[in-house]
Amino acid sequence: MKSYDAAVIGGGVLGCFALRSLCRYRLSAVLIEAQADVCMGITRANSAIVYAGYDNKPGSLKARMCVRANRRFHELCSELDVPFSRCGSLMTGCGEKAKAVLEKKYRDGIANGLEGLALISGDKARKMEPMLSRDVKMALYAPMTGTVNPWRLGIAACENAVHNGAELRLNTKLLTIEKTEGGYVLRTSTGDIFCKAVINCAGLSADMVQRMAFPCAVSIETDAADFIVMDKDIDNPAHIIFQEKENGKGITAVPCTEGNLLIDSAPRAMPRPFATDAAGIDSIKKQLTALLPELEQDIIRAFAAVRPNPHSEDGRSINDFCIETPAPGFVSLIGIKTPGLTCAEELGRYAAKICADYLNTEENPHFDGRRKAINCADDDIVCLCQGISRAEIIESIRRGARTVEAVKRRVGTGMGRCQGSRCEVRIAQILERYRNGTL
Amino acid sequence: MEHYDILIVGGGAAGISAAKAAKGKKVLLAEREEKLGGILLQCAHRGFGGDLSGMEYAATLADDLDNVEISLNTTVLSVSENKTALLSQKDCGRREISFSRLILATGAMEIAAGALHIAGDRPKGVYTAGMMQKLVNCNGFVPDGPVVILGSGDIGLIMAETVAKMDIPVTLVEKAAALGGMARNRRRLDGLDVGIRLGSTVSEIFGEKELEAVLLSNGEKLLCKTLLVAVGLECDRKLIKKLENPEWLRLCGNCERVHPMIESVINDGTQAGEWVCGI
Repeated sequence: MKSYDAAVIGGGVLGCFALRSLCRYRLSAVLIEAQADVCMGITRANSAIVYAGYDNKPGSLKARMCVRANRRFHELCSELDVPFSRCGSLMTGCGEKAKAVLEKKYRDGIANGLEGLALISGDKARKMEPMLSRDVKMALYAPMTGTVNPWRLGIAACENAVHNGAELRLNTKLLTIEKTEGGYVLRTSTGDIFCKAVINCAGLSADMVQRMAFPCAVSIETDAADFIVMDKDIDNPAHIIFQEKENGKGITAVPCTEGNLLIDSAPRAMPRPFATDAAGIDSIKKQLTALLPELEQDIIRAFAAVRPNPHSEDGRSINDFCIETPAPGFVSLIGIKTPGLTCAEELGRYAAKICADYLNTEENPHFDGRRKAINCADDDIVCLCQGISRAEIIESIRRGARTVEAVKRRVGTGMGRCQGSRCEVRIAQILERYRNGTL
Repeated sequence: MEHYDILIVGGGAAGISAAKAAKGKKVLLAEREEKLGGILLQCAHRGFGGDLSGMEYAATLADDLDNVEISLNTTVLSVSENKTALLSQKDCGRREISFSRLILATGAMEIAAGALHIAGDRPKGVYTAGMMQKLVNCNGFVPDGPVVILGSGDIGLIMAETVAKMDIPVTLVEKAAALGGMARNRRRLDGLDVGIRLGSTVSEIFGEKELEAVLLSNGEKLLCKTLLVAVGLECDRKLIKKLENPEWLRLCGNCERVHPMIESVINDGTQAGEWVCGI
């Protein structure tokens, strides 16, 4: 049985950062992930926003972590060589109820220590963002809001962790956890693993994973949101635009680092995980027309996100991150929803510190947090929409991509207008040759 | 920087015809694949230039291009207002060229399933019909049945015939009240076992990892492992999107408008070639 000091369960963006953070200490670490790649669950369908921190109650863990993480985000992305755009955001409102919400968020933002936050008129908002509808009467401007590609960030953290000696076990489903002398035996679909400490980042199943070994007072209930993606090369808004309606949250438009505009809906009930809803998508399109009337709606893709909402035993919704430590050396991150992406590194560090303290281990002087993005284009263009070459695809395989989907998540193939219909076959052939050793 | 009288982007039927017609000029014909012929190369069905297959017809078409410089495996990355283009050629690197006239013959692109944003899951097994045509005819791929084809235009009809002749169950779903496409392509289905659902569309997709079924707008659920989307083509003009209709540019073939017949594409390409020669 393979033995490690610490095991991370679940390879979403949280698990990837937990693994990387463990590498900051002198210990051996492994990440187990049920799917064929990391970042294939909640991380894969995310609004890509790096929040400023005005949405969270002053003094809450979320508020403290979000503000701190936001300030450090540029540095984090430079270290991991992931594109980050601090594009700023405008939360728009048209009526009295929205005005009250914006004013409260402004006050909370100030209490949370945010700089540059401003309540502005509709006209001023339209000066900054000329596409905004005439109906917008006011906006909350937050210059520190930004956007990052969630899976690129998670994959970068994972690559960096592996570079620092951590191990990755994909296609490995956790079956049970047994408490044993000095630690835990994780029974998995690819064999047993012994570890002294556990970080549970199992996303939608985090409550169930904790219950394999301990009681868990927090339960996850899921809801969903629909997303549409626009083609690149259209005139996009420059800022992230949040729509606060008289009856609650409306849509959000995010100009992504790749050049596409991503629009999401307010949460809805979830009959099937990650399945889109026709009414939800139609509603996004209508609301988008109302918010940004001149925007060309050139949709190339739709998808649905799932959010893990934490609830207490009496059924009440918990409005904060839940970090459970049912035993020393066992940490569960449960119900980490917005701003989970923003706080992924903070949460990973927090959990890793608990494990390191429990293991009584020192900091690792050899930890190197730097990682370089794939940058080796050659002259054989495979993905025409995105202009991605064979050499970049091969490098993504060298770094661990084993499926067409995994290549896509690393270099962006198949994410353009044709959605892979012109390049997928060639990418599959390159993967095949890699497997046969004939590349 | 090397100068050409004419740069032709795209070595399908339109680009080849334009190159042939541009007699006496210094022509560069850039083609991204390793062979000239474009979409003809994935057409195994007959009816081109009499009774040839698309593949056979492409070979006859590409004959007699002696005075044309052909650059295969070459993607034209960009074209600028000052009449230069950046080319990327496999194993040869990138080079910039200048030109006096540009003929765009980049063809059309299938409307991808993503653009339809059909509700439901996003499993494997959903393809565009043209992608499947290439997989079957050029790579020897056999689709998992049953197959559902959405859209009964020419490509949908041809793929229905192709799949049915492989003895794989296939259903053609068409939104209109009657089958689309040309009469001669509709006749391809005569005597074949092809299910047809008119006045309906695919409104939801089921299957967490692999495709399991589609729900039609008439309420019927069809079990299937492959969905082919054949809802239409759009002109591929990405390369010239930023240009403001300069007088040195001409579009021909399917990037100008989608032509139902190959003869019309060839005629269009020839006219484009003659146009640049006449200047």
